[in-house]
Amino acid sequence: MADTHELTLDELRDRIRAAGVPIPDNRLAMVRKLLTEALAPVRALDSRTIRTVEPAVKFVPKAEE
Amino acid sequence: MSDEIAYATIRELGTRYRKRELSPVEVTSALLTRIEKLDPLLHAFVTVTADRALEDARMAEAALRRGDENPLLGIPVAHKDIYLTRGIRTTGGSALFADWVPDEESTVVRKWREAGTLLLGKLITHEFAFGIQFPGHKFPAARNPWNLDHVPGGSSSGSGAALAAGLIAGATGSDTGGSIRGPASFCGIVGIKPTYGRASRAGVMTLSWTLDHTGPMARTVEDCAFLLQGMAGHDPADPASSTVPVGDYLAPLRRGMSGVRIGVPRNYFFDGVEPEVQAAFEEALGTLRKLGAEVRDVRIPSLHAAHSFLLILLAEAYAYHERDLRERPQLYGEVLRERLMSGALITAAEYTQAQRIRSEICAETAAVLQDVEVLATPTTPRSALPFTMAHDPEVGFVKSNMAPFNLTGLPTLALPCGFSGAGLPLSLQLSGRPFEEGTVLRVGHAYEKATAWHTRRPPV
Repeated sequence: MADTHELTLDELRDRIRAAGVPIPDNRLAMVRKLLTEALAPVRALDSRTIRTVEPAVKFVPKAEE
Repeated sequence: MSDEIAYATIRELGTRYRKRELSPVEVTSALLTRIEKLDPLLHAFVTVTADRALEDARMAEAALRRGDENPLLGIPVAHKDIYLTRGIRTTGGSALFADWVPDEESTVVRKWREAGTLLLGKLITHEFAFGIQFPGHKFPAARNPWNLDHVPGGSSSGSGAALAAGLIAGATGSDTGGSIRGPASFCGIVGIKPTYGRASRAGVMTLSWTLDHTGPMARTVEDCAFLLQGMAGHDPADPASSTVPVGDYLAPLRRGMSGVRIGVPRNYFFDGVEPEVQAAFEEALGTLRKLGAEVRDVRIPSLHAAHSFLLILLAEAYAYHERDLRERPQLYGEVLRERLMSGALITAAEYTQAQRIRSEICAETAAVLQDVEVLATPTTPRSALPFTMAHDPEVGFVKSNMAPFNLTGLPTLALPCGFSGAGLPLSLQLSGRPFEEGTVLRVGHAYEKATAWHTRRPPV
């Protein structure tokens, strides 16, 4: 059974077109594997369920001298 | 030259200098001869700075005569070639900067220079601290002194190889996903990735802003403590630099292990670990217990998503390299170019979700570290790969035991804990609370004193 999180070749080509970067055909398999691995945790995530921990600016008051 | 000098510790060198049994010029000359003999096999150095090293050595001798007590005085070091060195070529391991001679130096290079270290040269790095050199690359890849057919790990590959071969006593490394600890593991040496913001990255080539750390590599835990003491501290030139006061990294080494609570995260870190790595790790835990540590299992559930680290790295690395990738792509190494370009294919939403996952991992790890002072894991799931495997572009990025500590920014030490059946080093990874490098070094030092793994020498 195909992994539902796998990046398809068509999707990869769409992304390459949108980004406008030249990736030769003989490297598509490598890039597809790399991106599939990198995206796996995000694709497995239901973004509505993750706790409200977010990247944001933090202000830390200067310690007293 | 005797192994006694090539493998002398920082403390031994300092003691012998001050007893007038040995001089920095003698040590420098001996190491330059050793580099000339061994480096053609190892390819650890990109640039050897013989004249500079001898000049530094003469200045160190004068300082010793004046009674200078700095522990780094006269210590032979070399820098990973992503650290900018004024007047000395800094290549980043890339054809893009093959002949670049900066007119500035990184903060860490300056600090070690001012402490009186002897600069023997610049050490090869994976290209831009990311891409292993494939055959035909502008700069040949460093080889592992334990077996020349195996990689020394990366990206601080030259640092690992040069230290294991006794060519220097200390080196700089950088660590975005394990680039200090991986070579430490594969080469049987010690390396510490300090807390994010503890050591300056100013004047060090960027790979991924939110994951990059600088740190020292050496052959013993105490040597790493000396070197970290000489590089840690606030630097306004690094936006991530912390103002938290720097602790004393040497004093905790005298305290031993008693009362330390060590947690072993049994999920994630043991997936795919080779049996001999697992056995060496369990034996190391037994030693830590005998030394007085309380060892217990802990769980960090969100680690299953730790590979999101790669998404952050790729996106940030592309952002850094975008202009050169578009204008001079031919100067990037094969495979690395496409790996970097893949960062352009990640959407803003995906990058943001990866950072949210990271925040969750940080929160869960911090909660676990309320109950234990240190986390122990195997540094790498296996010993050093052969080049034949590392040069297969289809292999991809294997699951990393080191990347979680780049995501969390926690201080993390790698040190030898055994050898594989094939005679390759195995490594123990110890992580601690933010800015508690002293505790991590303390536990590592106590373990090292109780074992002899760090005293073995490679066959080169």
